[in-house]
Order: sequence, then structure tokens, then C-alpha cells
Amino acid sequence: MSGFVKAGLAVLVLAGVPFFLGDYHNDVYRKLLLWVTLALGYNFLFGVCGQVAFSHFAFYGIGAYSIVILLFQLHLPLPLAALCGVGLCVLFALAVAIPSTRLEGFYLALATLALGQLFVVVLNEGGEVTGGTSGLANYRLPEVLGLSLRGPAYTGVIVLLLVFTFVVLARLDRSWFGRACRAVRDNPEAAAAMGIDVARTRVTAFTLTSALAGVAGMVYAFVDNTVNPPIFGIENAFLLLFMVIVGGAGRHAGAVIGAALLFLLPFWLAPLVGQHHVLVFGLLVVAAILFKPSGLVGIYDSVRARS
Amino acid sequence: MTASAPVLEVRGLAKHFGGLTAVGGVDFEVHEGEILGLIGPNGAGKSTIFNLIAGTHAASDGDVRFAGEPILGLPPHRIAARGILRTFQHNRPFGGMSLLDNVLVGAHVRFASSLWSIVAGRSRAEERERRERAEALIDFVGLGEARSADVTTLSFGQGRLLEIARALAGEPRLMLFDEPAAGLTPPELERLATLIRGIAARGIAVLLIEHDMHFLLPLAHRVVVLNFGMKIADGRPEAIRADPAVMDAYLGSYAAHR
Repeated sequence: MSGFVKAGLAVLVLAGVPFFLGDYHNDVYRKLLLWVTLALGYNFLFGVCGQVAFSHFAFYGIGAYSIVILLFQLHLPLPLAALCGVGLCVLFALAVAIPSTRLEGFYLALATLALGQLFVVVLNEGGEVTGGTSGLANYRLPEVLGLSLRGPAYTGVIVLLLVFTFVVLARLDRSWFGRACRAVRDNPEAAAAMGIDVARTRVTAFTLTSALAGVAGMVYAFVDNTVNPPIFGIENAFLLLFMVIVGGAGRHAGAVIGAALLFLLPFWLAPLVGQHHVLVFGLLVVAAILFKPSGLVGIYDSVRARS
Repeated sequence: MTASAPVLEVRGLAKHFGGLTAVGGVDFEVHEGEILGLIGPNGAGKSTIFNLIAGTHAASDGDVRFAGEPILGLPPHRIAARGILRTFQHNRPFGGMSLLDNVLVGAHVRFASSLWSIVAGRSRAEERERRERAEALIDFVGLGEARSADVTTLSFGQGRLLEIARALAGEPRLMLFDEPAAGLTPPELERLATLIRGIAARGIAVLLIEHDMHFLLPLAHRVVVLNFGMKIADGRPEAIRADPAVMDAYLGSYAAHR
């Protein structure tokens, strides 16, 4: 019960923020919430389960494009369209994960890199269905239960998405499933000797986090009321990986801190380095890998342990 | 203890690597609560038999039955799920997890809650119950003081105890020990022997692969001796000690290694 209270409080506080922000800052805030949501899911895949994948943004895109296409080209009702969108993500995730997890970890990275690139090509060449390079625009979220969710109210939807994602992942993490994922990451052979089906655990973790990315994509589709290809490319997939490494892989707090830092850093760095903030990110990642593989959360832990 | 049906029955088990015969048709069985030692000089086929039972290698021929069911050809995780859990000769802790979580991984096959019930928050009672049992196991093996230690900083002997606690958490009917005495100090060996007796006293069948005769003979209820992939003796430790074929095998291999 206290978990419900905490989650409820988090929703209220996070959803209350946009009422004190102007349009520009509200937009930044929404994107921040989405990045944190994506980083939480990717952290479970990469940090907890130890799988290197570059398809997280492709699934985000599959969710975003499918909800728009299903709603406005096939004219499905919203709940059915959302369900089909999740179904599509699950299907694609299984199609990628089942063959590649039978091989060693390296192949999942390659397969998902290919999927990530291919997805953007398909979007660019998709003609009227995907809107080509300019994407899809000029649509509006239908009314949900008679409510028109716009402006700060829609930010509330994003907050719900974030809290939902966090609760799902946190609960899984503290269960036999989360331990199985970590065991598979740390020592697959010993994990199998303890009765863990290594391939199945990997496929489940990949499919689950990919589906969560798809759900986030559906919510994203109505943030700007436009979807276009560059968002869903490999660059952002790498940025997500950087966020998790810098924040501290394997920890929810690490994902949140890493996402917040690398998302906000360019705004502060712009006067100093202009558009070259990626250079600073590169240095941060190299520094994290070389000096503190447990990331910023690891630094916080060791400071606290000393005092 | 020999009155009951055997927990593990091994019949005509064989493994060939190309033209080389590692195990050439071996028979033995282990009963509930029994400590069976499998010994032999280097290259006798002990580890191969271990890996065949645990499912990490595929057998060339023979039959292995666990609780009456054939298990040969099952992958390792399915064999573990049936109730056969093992320790590793070189400790293999899950380095990124707490000691308690390491032990809880061992209980993996005992969890019944589905992913849906976890997400719905309905698995807490089971989680709490398993956690309490794992805590009790940590005390049982004697790791109570190391409870909050980073598992990568445990001593070799403590790491071996963690291996045992982890396997016990799965509530096995048969426990496989892969050279548990290797690398331990004399006091640690004493503690290990007591622990293994305690495990057998819980009714768990114990199969020990061991190199060290001095450790094994006072501990085992029965001993199977292998040489060049064949069984050369099977009996009580006193009989094994007096068996000329066994002395020959050990002395022979000793001479050959000079």
C-alpha cells in the first residue's frame, strides 16, 4: 500500500511541475521525462541483463509510427490501436531476439544495429504510409474518455508513463526474474547450473524492454504531434547507451541521473562549445569506463561509504 | 539408506572425444542421504562423468536416471530444475549481486510466481519467505559474518561456502560437488566435511568428485574408484583403502607423473 502512496505522490509532484513552466520549458521537461523513461528501460536491458542492443529507438519509433498509422490511416479506435502497437513491438522484438540470443552476445549488438539502420531506411522510403523523410504530421490525439488531453494535461500522461515504466521495472528487478537477468549477465554458465534458462531470460528481457520502448513511442507521438525519421536513428540509441554508462549501469538511479545529465548538459554547454557537446559526452563515457565503471551512482555510493 | 530406490542411477555411461575414450561404460547409483565419493587419478574421467550428469557435455552412450526419469540429453537448466544442483570447483559467484541475492539465485527453480503477478505486485509474500530461508542457509553454511560482504572479496574458502549455500537454496534431491576440497586450508576442510555430513543428514543425496583421498575416505559412505574411464572398485571406504587395484592405480599414476 505504501508503494501505491509513493507512486501516487511521485505522479502528483512530477505532473504538477508543468503548471509552473512556460511553453518552452514545458517542452524541455516533457523530453526529459521521455529520455528518463527510455533510459530506465534500456538500463534494464543493458545494465541489469548485460545485453548490448542498439534497437531501443527503433522500437520507440515502431510504437510512435504504428499508433499514428493505425489511428489515422486504418482508423482503429485508440485502445485497439495501442494494443496492436504493443503487439507489433513484441513481434519485432521476438524476431530479432530469438535468433541472435542463440548465438553469443556480440550478435545481438550486430542484429539490433542492423534493425536500427534498416528502420530509418524503411521510414524514409515508406511513401505515403510513413510520410518519407518529412514524416507524419497534422494529427491530434483523439479524446480519451471524453477528455481532451493537451498542454500540461498531456505532460501528466508522460508522467504516468514514466512512473508505470519505473514500477514495472523495479518490481521485476526485485524478483526472481531480475536476479536471473543479473545472473545471466555475470556468469551464464553458473546461471544455467542454477536452473535459469539463459536464452529464454535474454529473449524475455529484450522483448519486455522493447515493448516498453514501444509504449513510450506511442506517448511520444502526441508530444509534438509529428513523427519523423531522424529521431529514431542510431545516434539517439548511442546517446541512450552513454546515459546509462555515465549514470551507472544496472541501477535505476543511474539511469535517471545519466539521462537527466546528458539531456540537460547540451543546454549549458552550448555557449561554451556550440554544437560540439557530443565531444564532451565522449570524454565522459571514456572517463566512466576507465575510472568508474559504476558511474555517477557509484561515485555517490563510495562518497557515502567513506563519510 | 540402501533400502530405498536410488535417487541417481548411472548405467553404461560412456563419452568418447573423437577416438579417445574418456569414460568407457560406468555404472553406479546414489541413494537418499548417502555420500558417494567418485575418485581416481588425473584423467580417470571423474570430471567428464560430472559434466555428463550435470548436462554440460552430451554423453556418447548409456543411461542416467534421476528419481527414475531419464535425464541424459537435457540441458543444464532443466537438470537443475529436476532437483540436481552443483557447486563449481573454481568458485563462480555472481559478482554484481549481494551475497543474499547470490543465494536467492540458487532458489530460482523454487519460485512459482509468474511475471504478471510480479508486475501486479502479488509476489511479495513468496519473495519474503524465500529471503528468510536464504538467510537461514547463509547461517547454516557459516557465512553469517560475511553476510554484507561484497561477494568478489570473499576468501576462497568462503566462496566455496557460498557455492554450497546457493545450491542448497534450490532444495536439491541430489547435490554434486566438483572437487570441493581443492584449495582449502585444513580447518576449512574440517568445516566442509561437517557441512557435507549435515547436508546428507537432511536426506539429500551427495555425489562428490574428489582428488584428495585423505579428505574423502573418512567422509564418504561409499566410494567408486575410476581409472582410465573404467570403474575399478566400488565399496565402503575401508574396503577401498585395502584394495590392491586402487593402490596400483594411484601408485601407477604417481610413478607415471614423476
